[in-house]
Amino acid sequence: MLALKQRNDQAFSTLYDNYSGALYSIIKQIITDNAELASDVLQEVFINIYRKIDTYDQTKGRLFTWMLNIARNASIDMLRSKSYQNSQKNQELPDNVYKGTANQSTQLNVDNIGLKKVLEKLKPEHRVLVELAYFKGFTHEEIAEMMSIPLGTVKTRIRNALLQLREYLQ
Amino acid sequence: MNIQAYIESGIIETYVLGLASPSESAEFEQLCAQYPELVAARRRFEEGLEKHASTHAVQPPVGVKVKILEAIALNPPKIVTMQNENKKGSSGFTSLLAAACVLLVVGLVWMVYQSRETKAQNAELQRTNVALNERLNSTDSVLKQIIAETSVVKDPNNIVVNMVGTKAAPQSSANVYWDSTSTNVYLVVKNMPVLPNDQQYQLWALIDGKPKDLGVFDATKNKMILKMKNTQKAQAFAITIEKQGGSPSPTLQKMQSMGKTLQTQ
Repeated sequence: MLALKQRNDQAFSTLYDNYSGALYSIIKQIITDNAELASDVLQEVFINIYRKIDTYDQTKGRLFTWMLNIARNASIDMLRSKSYQNSQKNQELPDNVYKGTANQSTQLNVDNIGLKKVLEKLKPEHRVLVELAYFKGFTHEEIAEMMSIPLGTVKTRIRNALLQLREYLQ
Repeated sequence: MNIQAYIESGIIETYVLGLASPSESAEFEQLCAQYPELVAARRRFEEGLEKHASTHAVQPPVGVKVKILEAIALNPPKIVTMQNENKKGSSGFTSLLAAACVLLVVGLVWMVYQSRETKAQNAELQRTNVALNERLNSTDSVLKQIIAETSVVKDPNNIVVNMVGTKAAPQSSANVYWDSTSTNVYLVVKNMPVLPNDQQYQLWALIDGKPKDLGVFDATKNKMILKMKNTQKAQAFAITIEKQGGSPSPTLQKMQSMGKTLQTQ
């Protein structure tokens, strides 16, 4: 940890080797359909980790948790960015041309990796909420409005879903 | 506080996954400082999450690591650490050469770093300078306004005419400062409602029963002093609402306020 805070390149290189796969996995679960942008985000995430390592506070959680949140936030930012929206538009055409098989296979891939796989075990009404909150980055208020359910219900359902998630992770 | 119920509420997972609101996070962090069992439960979830993520890792494309290391090398961090490693076996000359090189590099890095710092400081100073200048200008204009106002108000030659609201506009009030020797007329708006864009207030002097135009004004700034057209005579002043730019004669049903002078015919 100290070596990292002193910006030791060797320590940083090891950090990348150990965690890039796990972080890339979460990035790809959020940016599901554009591998190029996903690897751009991974690059940005590690540069940010390197720059902001001083702000990491050990009392607030593990290093991995801190990095995971950086990766998630960066991915959601990308999801909402202009360049991503544009890339979506450009992809519309081929998507329509190869409608069916192509779509289904990517869908299958996405659902089969990482946390999303665990999510499948949850009840659908719970799964949707976690999906929107965690992988799409919507606030609880936005979800409540979107799905016309009370804010309190959104909060309890998400919490219950996450509690179940914990059981599956253990 | 039932800490066990809190632990089971799902807050740990919400917090760790970054889904907690700022107030929930603040509460959680505060409670962590008090309850070691909460920290332990958080740690368990974090470890499970990390383990799960590691087993489901997806290998990123090969080139990414190199790109990251390059980007970092181009943008060195602020801390420059020096490793003091003495390697055995090198001859005196090479180590001297190496030392010279290291010194050169360190010197260069230091100079680049210094010049960057200086540039950053320079830019910062320039920004501050501009901001201060802006403040100075605005303060200056306010001060000028106040001085102008005071000189009018304190001038013993000035007659103060207190304009009171009419029935049409009981709230409206303004003061006219009129110097009958220099014929200057100043108006201080005390309370006049803001008008739609196509309308303006117009000040009139009533001389022998006939109105004389003294100019139009907006009531956007309260308590500002306005220089109006001069008049040598006036038995009263009146304010009406007119179309933008004013009218040749007053619309009397829209008279907003009026005040009489002591001057007789």
